Amino acid sequence: MVLVSAVRDYINRMLQDISGMKVLILDSHTVSVVSVGNSQSELLQKEVFLVELVDSISKSKESMSHLKAVYFLRPTSENIQHLRRQLASPRFGEYHLFFSNILKDTQIHNLADSDEQEVVQQIQEFYADFVAIDPYHFTLNMPSNHIYMLPAVVDTSNLPHFCDRVVDGIASIFLALKRRPIIRYQRTSDIAKRIAQETAVKAVYQQESGLFDFRRMEVSPLLLVIDRRDDPVAPLLNQWTYQAMVHELIGIQDNKVDLRNIGKLPKDQQEVVLSSEQDAFFKANMYENFGDIGKNIKRLVDEFQQISKSNQSIQTIEDMAKFVDNYPEYRKMHGNVSKHVTLVIEMSKIVEERKLMLVSQTEQELACNGGQVAAFEAVTNLLNNESISDIDRLLLVMLYALRYEKESPVQLMQLFNKLASWSAKYKPGLVQFVLKQAGVDKRTGDLFGNRDLLNIARNMARGLKGVENVYTQHQPLLFQTMESISKERLRDVDYPYVGNHFQQGRPQEVVIFIVGGTTYEESRSVALQNASNSGIRFILGGSVVLNSKRFLKDLEEAQRMARSSMAVV
Amino acid sequence: MASRNRTVIFRKYRDALKTVRAPTSSSPASTSSGGGRGNGPVIEMVNASLLHPNRSYTPLSTEDPGNSSNGALTVGLPPAWVDVSEEISANVQRARTRMAELAKAHGKALMPSFGDGKEDQHLIESLTQEITALIKRSEKKLQRLSAAGPSEDSNVRKNVQRSLATDLQNLSMELRKKQSTYLKRLRQQKEGQDGVDLEMNLNGSRSITEDEDLDNIVFSEHQMTKLKKSEAFTAEREREIQQVVESVNELAQIMKDLSVLVIDQGTIVDRIDHNIQTVATTVEEGLKQLQKADRTQKQGGMVMCATALIIMCFVMLVLLILKEIFL
Repeated sequence: MVLVSAVRDYINRMLQDISGMKVLILDSHTVSVVSVGNSQSELLQKEVFLVELVDSISKSKESMSHLKAVYFLRPTSENIQHLRRQLASPRFGEYHLFFSNILKDTQIHNLADSDEQEVVQQIQEFYADFVAIDPYHFTLNMPSNHIYMLPAVVDTSNLPHFCDRVVDGIASIFLALKRRPIIRYQRTSDIAKRIAQETAVKAVYQQESGLFDFRRMEVSPLLLVIDRRDDPVAPLLNQWTYQAMVHELIGIQDNKVDLRNIGKLPKDQQEVVLSSEQDAFFKANMYENFGDIGKNIKRLVDEFQQISKSNQSIQTIEDMAKFVDNYPEYRKMHGNVSKHVTLVIEMSKIVEERKLMLVSQTEQELACNGGQVAAFEAVTNLLNNESISDIDRLLLVMLYALRYEKESPVQLMQLFNKLASWSAKYKPGLVQFVLKQAGVDKRTGDLFGNRDLLNIARNMARGLKGVENVYTQHQPLLFQTMESISKERLRDVDYPYVGNHFQQGRPQEVVIFIVGGTTYEESRSVALQNASNSGIRFILGGSVVLNSKRFLKDLEEAQRMARSSMAVV
Repeated sequence: MASRNRTVIFRKYRDALKTVRAPTSSSPASTSSGGGRGNGPVIEMVNASLLHPNRSYTPLSTEDPGNSSNGALTVGLPPAWVDVSEEISANVQRARTRMAELAKAHGKALMPSFGDGKEDQHLIESLTQEITALIKRSEKKLQRLSAAGPSEDSNVRKNVQRSLATDLQNLSMELRKKQSTYLKRLRQQKEGQDGVDLEMNLNGSRSITEDEDLDNIVFSEHQMTKLKKSEAFTAEREREIQQVVESVNELAQIMKDLSVLVIDQGTIVDRIDHNIQTVATTVEEGLKQLQKADRTQKQGGMVMCATALIIMCFVMLVLLILKEIFL
């Protein structure tokens, strides 16, 4: 509840003291921030009768002075420009300005300069600069995410912008939670180091230290900045737990699922909302695997059928009255049931088409255990199989390459050639790019459990014991990281501190930020870890939420930019 | 949850900038009589006056301060529909207070009392009717709020309509729930009463068989009066139940109409970002449709036919004239 309730509280505070009819004006980022926490009907209750974007509101000239304007924007220069223009010719009676991050003095000066009519009643900073999609999971929805893969020499213009946005987002998390953290970062990643240091400089230690002067806890919370490339396997795998699966196969954006491209669906099912706050069934099932979901949905449908049958037999006036009483509930349940049934049907179709059961089995073997020879055979068989789609072939080869990079280069080349022969679109160059970015030399963590003896022994034991479910045996690297933190075994060598502060004892709150994006599998890991009551509360965040398509797109973009910069040089 | 108020700094800057602007408007310009409140048009003068304080200057922009509508916000009256919406919310408030009174009256009527409780019944009846009338009136007014045309104002009106519809729906549901509980309890009481009567009758009939004929007549008279009384009582209760049922039906109708307006919570329609996009796309769609219609109309077969026919008419006319001339 932590992150979502923080955002909701901010919005409530914004609106409660202003009486009368209001119009809420947002920009393209804050729209996502507000939409995941509050619904339209809640805003209506607070007398917000119009919600607009800041760029579109300047197009109309009609004056609505009976409305009070509440602006909630990020403090970027474009937004300040928009505001200046709108303050110069105000349309509304009063203006209340709220910004999602720290304002510079020059920006306040500019606004004061434009406010000749003196319509601005207040300017406040409410630090809700992140999208809280789940109670312990946030994202920053950054558009050009691939920049983190490029070294600073290649792209000198966009990288500072990227880092600034990330630092702003992380700072606002800590301001919303009212904490002052100790920062650690992954040694092998330059961008993680840069972000960690910039966060320290800007937010925690120097510039705005007055703002971060919260009551010091016994053990300060920890901010850990790590790089996506330390665990490139997690975004590449096929998922079988509800939320992760929907994102992997269809795609979730700000808790909304867009089904328009998938098939012919009735109008009210073309876009649906999957939010654990608003949907009790989803909250109970979001981390369950596909088989269990099927069972639970069947139970839900049976319940619903019972109710609708009893609704059909209306004989007395009492029955009628009862029906009308229960109608809103009935309608809501109907909508909910059809939403989940539609999603499961569409996903089953996709699984069938792409033969994902077969593919995923091999993927899990590659990620978790199994010998090299068997893996090579399995991958070759699947590559030869005609019904496998191109993207799945690419993913398989990538996984194989990441796992058995050093073990048998000849066989790896064979796989590359086979891949190239099948599809012109997905070149093996991409696989080599991945190896360059996230190969075994670049990784800190023990991704495959084959670096130290303890892990190898553990893997062998697991192999002998057998697993419950072949399809969900993969544990993301994040799980091991969280365990190390809770046992205070996170090595200083691998994850050094920023500045001179050292952690005494176990932190009680940990924010892990993955530069490059998180996956829903990892957020599931975090949620399950939090539910196990180990005494530590973990919060996970990233620049975007990845699935395999998005990760491949980032890789392709980065590869293209790297190539074009080399061509220039 | 941290926040920071920057209003103080902002006001400081704003006042400072205002004083910088103000000296220019208090210049000895003959035209400016009352409009010297720094409405912005003479900012160019600031630099000039500060840099050359000894030079007398004439204002560069001879803006007539009379037309203050340039930048000053005309605090106009809100549009008419705001009055309608305020009326509706006032009605909702009143209905709520009446509902509280109704609840009290229900409780009082259900308690066993010595009198025949006619005043209670009347009170309940009148309150229920008043509340139903308020809801009905508000619902009719609600229809007036909808506007045509995709403008910002229409969005505001639609949203106001939605929120009031939700309030009305909640009110009517509450009212019906109260009524149905009252009904239920009333029925229980009625049956209880009948049961008591039945008992008395049984006793009466038993005593009849034991007594002589004279006593029969006397007892049966008693019995008759008792029967009549309980009959009248039951008839009255029936009437009340009938009335309550009628109002339940009325409210059901209202709810059906309102449910079209109310948003289902948790669906995509309840999402803020969805609504913002829908507005944009509807306006665009509307424009596209209009353009398409315009084009089809221009190319329309009807138009071509009509033009062709008119041309034919002219041709025939010309031919006729020629025929007249040459023949």
